[in-house]
Amino acid sequence: MAQRLKPVDVVTIGVGLTGSLAALELAKTGLKVVGLERGAPRFTVPDFQSPAIHDELRFSIRKAMMQDNVKVPVTFRNNSDETALPIRRWESFLPGQGLGGSFVHWNGQSFRFQVADFNYKTHIEQRYGKTFLNACGPELTVQDWDVTYDELEPHFDRFEYLCGVSGKAGNIKGQLQLGGNPFEAPRAREYPNPPMKETYFGALFRKGVEQLGYHPYPQPSANMSRPYRNPEGLDLQQCVFCGFCERYACEHFAKASPQTVILPALLKRPNYELRTNCEVLRINLDSTRKKATGVTYVDGSGAEYEQPAELVLITAFPLNNVRTLLLSGIGEPYDPKTGTGVVGRNYTYQTTGGATVFMDESINVNPFMSSGAPGTMIDDFGGDNFDHSQLGFIGGQYIGSIMTNGRPIEFHPTPPGTPKWGLEWKRAVTRHYNHTIAVQQHGTSTASRLNYLDLDPTYKDAWGQPVLRMTFDFPENDIRMSQYIADKVVEIGRAMGGKIVARGGTKRPYTTTQYQSTHNAGGAIMGSDPKTSVVNRYQQCWDVPNVFSLGASAFPQNGAYNYSVTIGALTYWALDAIKNKYLKAPGPLVQA
Amino acid sequence: MMLARPLHAVAAGIMAIVLGLAWNASAQMQGDTRKPDRKRGALITAQGTAAGAPACAQCHAFNGASDGSGAFPRIAGQSLYYLSKQMRDFTSDVRVNAVMSPIAKALTPDDIADVAAYYAGVNAPFLPLRNSDPALIKRGKELAKVGSASNGIQACDNCHGPSGAGEPPAIPYLAGQYATYIVFELRMWQRGFRKSSPESMAGVARQLNDQEIAAVSAYYEQVQGSAELTTSD
Repeated sequence: MAQRLKPVDVVTIGVGLTGSLAALELAKTGLKVVGLERGAPRFTVPDFQSPAIHDELRFSIRKAMMQDNVKVPVTFRNNSDETALPIRRWESFLPGQGLGGSFVHWNGQSFRFQVADFNYKTHIEQRYGKTFLNACGPELTVQDWDVTYDELEPHFDRFEYLCGVSGKAGNIKGQLQLGGNPFEAPRAREYPNPPMKETYFGALFRKGVEQLGYHPYPQPSANMSRPYRNPEGLDLQQCVFCGFCERYACEHFAKASPQTVILPALLKRPNYELRTNCEVLRINLDSTRKKATGVTYVDGSGAEYEQPAELVLITAFPLNNVRTLLLSGIGEPYDPKTGTGVVGRNYTYQTTGGATVFMDESINVNPFMSSGAPGTMIDDFGGDNFDHSQLGFIGGQYIGSIMTNGRPIEFHPTPPGTPKWGLEWKRAVTRHYNHTIAVQQHGTSTASRLNYLDLDPTYKDAWGQPVLRMTFDFPENDIRMSQYIADKVVEIGRAMGGKIVARGGTKRPYTTTQYQSTHNAGGAIMGSDPKTSVVNRYQQCWDVPNVFSLGASAFPQNGAYNYSVTIGALTYWALDAIKNKYLKAPGPLVQA
Repeated sequence: MMLARPLHAVAAGIMAIVLGLAWNASAQMQGDTRKPDRKRGALITAQGTAAGAPACAQCHAFNGASDGSGAFPRIAGQSLYYLSKQMRDFTSDVRVNAVMSPIAKALTPDDIADVAAYYAGVNAPFLPLRNSDPALIKRGKELAKVGSASNGIQACDNCHGPSGAGEPPAIPYLAGQYATYIVFELRMWQRGFRKSSPESMAGVARQLNDQEIAAVSAYYEQVQGSAELTTSD
């Protein structure tokens, strides 16, 4: 039987980016906050130090920092007619586990979503007419967020300064800035730190895209370009371009993560308590099912506890936010046959890929000297930055030369037609290893009524609870978009001086066996109508007002960019409402 | 997250290629098309130059082990890139030292390249050590290999290589370096006199107190020879 613990004010389910950020904000108000993290505790010193942290086999190949999918897998299928099977080896996306969550093994690629992302449906209808969306795909279920970019801007600003983002502003209060991204959403002020040094491959990309008339800019990075003290008084150090960023933790205090920018300030607060190795089984509801009473969890020894709390924040990886809601019976599960229900609806992903540009042997790229966000990029084809009216699709991708590593097990570029093994393969790797530039495409995937998350009818986790089932394939809209941009990338590769340019672009079906993106989003989306959203504009559950579901699960659809900074801004936005509205008068912040 | 390119195959030999290329790249970065002349470097080391630079060997010894007092660093086998960069830093006052600055300024860029190439290519025995406090060395080893959570500093080995073996070309070895010299240089960084790599080393130095500086310096001084360098603890 579960042991009942002393009630607390707030419990967070998960202690990653949203869990630690929310806990710090609420602990500052004096509330007693408990953080429940299913993974182990870990800190820069001693856990992230080299040489152990650069173990490529352990971290990149065997995914040591990812969710334990022996205990809790996710099942996957491409469509509702298939039977989903458990993903036993993470490849296409990498949900993190352990203190700090996925915000430990991220790259630090630090974009804000664009103005149009937040009112996407309205924007598309205004620019292209009411029938355009349906023509792009009748299955598309694009909708507005019910929060505007302008409302989020102060929170974007605050989060960037928390993380010490290094970049060059392209638009300050509507004034375009030389050297920055002219397509970026207007910001109140410059980035807290100057941009990272441009790499050689970045310089070659810049030269190529400038010839074609595009607008290159340095990728904003949460790897530091210089030493930085954040507003919480925590010190970050300069990135040394070690080439072990994504899938790894930073040993140098040079990447923003909960461990570097939040946790040291949080953990010294006496009214915060961190409990690691604690798996939350469900949120408990009272008999009205309109109020949460707390959570039930299991600790590392297998003992079960009930933790009563006044306020429950679901702060897990987006997929696990959705699963927690489903396991707790909060909100009506989405039914793709009828289109009714909301939990699991509008699960979205992103389109990635790109070209591989094989250069002359005189060009030494040195990809191993790199950081997590070293790119030189263009946004000329991002989001809705270009005219779609004659193109028959919505959405877009940024294009960038973003090579984060030249790690020995993972990086072996060979031109098309090279054998996959043997002497010819080895010769090709030797020839091309240091003379190859990857040019990324990275962008939107459009929400569709066919893509959703629900509980698997067959497979259970280590605690006997149903695991999450993912039903997903790219809408044809996304394929048309990605293939259109793939042509542009080939032109860029040639302009860069590529001897051979291997074309990229997304194809169907989506596969979980090759890395694509960890920007899984949606499934517990925000909106103005409880019939088409799980949470309101403050990420508060419509059905249970003392439960908030924070993070990217609330995105109605995905933007073109890497999403962490938008998660941070949205979390600050929600916390602002919790602190200044909800705590004063607990109850629904928006009337349905 | 960034996508690695489709991944085929094995790691065989790649690291060797990587290191080789890094070396070539650094030579290119110096814009130095002339190949350094080690023999000429040896001559300068032994005899000084006509322009008035004294013989390097007077302080650093002909084998780069220096005199063992710790007033002069061990430079045997330090990378060509690192040595020539330090010399250029002395000529431009990025590093300031009453002894070295005038000597560096008396050398031409070719002299610097040749001398650096000479010392980069020599090996030298380690001079016998004075006795250091084992507890101090143990504390230094912790800092060197794990860092310090309370100071917010990472392990020195992250950049300076396993047991301070160095990460050439850019980052010098510390293994077997004289403790007196390491202590002195960390203090120079703390006080802002040494301005080379200020973004990394100045910050780290300021996080260390005198005792920690003594400890980490004592540790690296006694790391000598391949036996210690290959232990992985």
